[in-house]
Amino acid sequence: MSLLKVEQVSRRFGSLVAVDQVSMTVEPGEFRAVIGPNGAGKTTFFNLISGFLLPTSGRILFDDQDVTAVKPANRVKLGMARTFQVTEIFPELSVRENLRIPVEVAAGHRLKPWQSRADARAMDERVDELLQRSGLTGKAGRLAGELSHGDQRATEIMMAIALNPRLLLLDEPTAGMGDQETYDVTQLIRKLHREQKLTVVLIEHDMRVVFHLADRVMVLAEGQLLAEGTPDEIAADDAVQEAYLGAEAETA
Amino acid sequence: MTQLILFNVFNGLIIGAFYALMALGLSMILNLSGVINFAHGGFLAIGAYLAYSLTPYIGFWGALAVAPILTAIIGLLVERVLIRRLYGRDPLYSLLLTFGLAFMIEDGTRYLWGPETLPFTIPDWLASPLSSDFFFLTGYRVFMVVLVLVTVGALFLVLNRTRLGIRIRAGSDDLETVSVLGVNVRILRNLNFGLGIYLAGLAGVLAAGMLGLQPTIGNELIMPSFVAIIVGGLGSLPGTLLGGLLIGVASGVTAVFFPSASEAVIYVMMGLVLLIRPRGLLGEEGRVL
Amino acid sequence: MNSTLNRQIANALIWALLLTMPYWIGFVGGYTSLASRVVVLALAAMSLNFLLGFTGVLSFGHAAYFGIGAYGVGMTIKYLAPSTPLGILVGMGVAAAAAAIIGTLIVRLRSVYFAMVTIAFGQVFYFIAYRWNAVTGGDDGLSGWRTLPLDFGIGKLDIAGQPLTFYYFVLALFAVAVGIMALLLRSPFGRTLLAIRENERRARFLGIPVEQHIWMSWLISCVFVSLAGTLYALLNNFADPHDLRWDQSGDFVIMAVLGGMRSFWGPLIGAAIFVVLQDYISSQTENWMSFIGLFFVLIVLFFPRGVVGLLRRKAAS
Repeated sequence: MSLLKVEQVSRRFGSLVAVDQVSMTVEPGEFRAVIGPNGAGKTTFFNLISGFLLPTSGRILFDDQDVTAVKPANRVKLGMARTFQVTEIFPELSVRENLRIPVEVAAGHRLKPWQSRADARAMDERVDELLQRSGLTGKAGRLAGELSHGDQRATEIMMAIALNPRLLLLDEPTAGMGDQETYDVTQLIRKLHREQKLTVVLIEHDMRVVFHLADRVMVLAEGQLLAEGTPDEIAADDAVQEAYLGAEAETA
Repeated sequence: MTQLILFNVFNGLIIGAFYALMALGLSMILNLSGVINFAHGGFLAIGAYLAYSLTPYIGFWGALAVAPILTAIIGLLVERVLIRRLYGRDPLYSLLLTFGLAFMIEDGTRYLWGPETLPFTIPDWLASPLSSDFFFLTGYRVFMVVLVLVTVGALFLVLNRTRLGIRIRAGSDDLETVSVLGVNVRILRNLNFGLGIYLAGLAGVLAAGMLGLQPTIGNELIMPSFVAIIVGGLGSLPGTLLGGLLIGVASGVTAVFFPSASEAVIYVMMGLVLLIRPRGLLGEEGRVL
Repeated sequence: MNSTLNRQIANALIWALLLTMPYWIGFVGGYTSLASRVVVLALAAMSLNFLLGFTGVLSFGHAAYFGIGAYGVGMTIKYLAPSTPLGILVGMGVAAAAAAIIGTLIVRLRSVYFAMVTIAFGQVFYFIAYRWNAVTGGDDGLSGWRTLPLDFGIGKLDIAGQPLTFYYFVLALFAVAVGIMALLLRSPFGRTLLAIRENERRARFLGIPVEQHIWMSWLISCVFVSLAGTLYALLNNFADPHDLRWDQSGDFVIMAVLGGMRSFWGPLIGAAIFVVLQDYISSQTENWMSFIGLFFVLIVLFFPRGVVGLLRRKAAS
């Protein structure tokens, strides 16, 4: 049984068709990458899945439940979590507080006006565990906004993990990073995927990251599905080569 | 009865025209600069008092032509010296600044021209009724409506046809792109502010002719102008115009049946709009959330 | 851990100063009723700051709920029942109902638009107080009633008889309200409010229904502001339509900014400075409005982080 099923979704902005009848099926535990040249509609597609935008037509099923019009906060409850292309964290709170908030939301405590000692301890332990898994323990007390780009990204990913998602949606997690940071973040994502058999959908620009992580790759071009297959199949696909090289040549 | 209703509809239209004139300026400044100009009512008062002081020398028509321009120049200076410093900061600060300015302008006009209501003389032929059946149709009231319509028409012409206007509209939609295209955003915002204040100054001169002069003359017009913007739709100037006329007529008609509710009715309308259509009648999607 | 200790020292110092204020305010040119006014307006500014500084939502219409509290207590004592506590509860209850309804209409708005709508809605209550002459006293305000002694069954406490007694009555309610707000801010719910202030989009995608939480924060903030309003009316034995007006809202905001919005106690400091200054200026000149206006402008231009922000910066460098 598939975890995420996208059926023929489209999204129009005025006369522009950003996503045109794209379908996708993701199995539990799968690591799926979505790639494509700039303006291919990747981010729009991603926003449709995460509930940031509503599709003009088509359906999205999560765990066999129709979530097409479900609000973001409720998608989280069902088990979907996402990160953003531009890191979205709580800059003036400490790393620990950044993680504590999603931990408490996941525990169903978001409306609690007070907290028992036992609860507080349980939350602390969960935060400690997340810090440790991401290697952020030493920076727990620092303000998140003061961290390096790579550490901020790691914080954001761990915030999503804190929600105990069944599906993790990552929007270009290595965008704008140097080689070392890209490597660190890639390793973290890989580790999380392996440890919890987490299902991941990743949008990525950097081909090294995609080939390193993904089980299956889907290629979008001009809003449409161009190809789908294993990383090796995609690398050998002529249409993909042309779409990429053509687009790169134009922008260059 | 018919005449009474007609009278109040017409009265509402005049008031609505004032609201619209105020609200259009406020809305332009809000859309391009993200500043709620609390001092807008103060600028209205400045326009009114300048016209009062100029009339003995250059007459009503001269004052009508010159006072709004002088008000706009003061607006340009205020934007340059004070408001410009707050762009890009938390909108809270520009709110507080214009709030303080509103206090200072109100007190300043009181200091310069005194707290008493001053009469503002308009030409005799404008002050007399046009017809004995419709006593409320004084020449001045008709003249005001026509002038507001002409001004608003001219404003939309400027915004749609001139280079400055097109840049203002484009900047209100997407300031970043406009600045990347090489438009000097500082100057654009400055001129836009001046244009908005010009409208406030003009409204001031017209209001003086109808209500006489008081330092608080602008205070009663600023809140309804906010309501006009919200009812008409955030980010839409035609919406603001519509909103202004609509709430003016609504409060005019309410005055026939429930005189004491004529002010409150516009806030009820605002509540209804927010409930049913949060982005306003002609508002753009995306400005709300 | 050092910062926790610092915070405890600051807390102890603030409570010590508040508890002894009537005894030292004379030395700095004040009087006991002025001390009560400082505490009441500090409660209003701190309540506003619950929304402004800790949820990141820009309300410019809090005077409406302050005023509803004031008229609520006055009208209850005048027309309904001769009981101060009942009056306070009615004032808060009516304000809560009004805030709950208006809150549902505005939670989808943000930033300047939220500010604009809150101001505009505030005017409704101003017009009611202003127009409904027969009941509210219209422009003259609601008088002809006074603060009544608290009846504990075993004995009565005349809170209005002595300014000093009234000060400690106000301070006790202040302590309860401020204590509740402090506890809320440290709770899981309070952290979701900080999350919304810091990054609304992130909060939403962490599963926080942002509108619901803003609505609750708005309601809490308005209810405590209305408590301050009831105390203000009890202090003056009078409810003034000016309490409901938008310039009063502006005063609350400037108090919060002047003291420091990012700090829990900041608005208290802002309120103290503002109240004392206003008292002084209005006794010195007729043109106090210009000075208050100038004061707003100067704070925005040169002092946007407030007193506490400045102290923190100095401590950091």
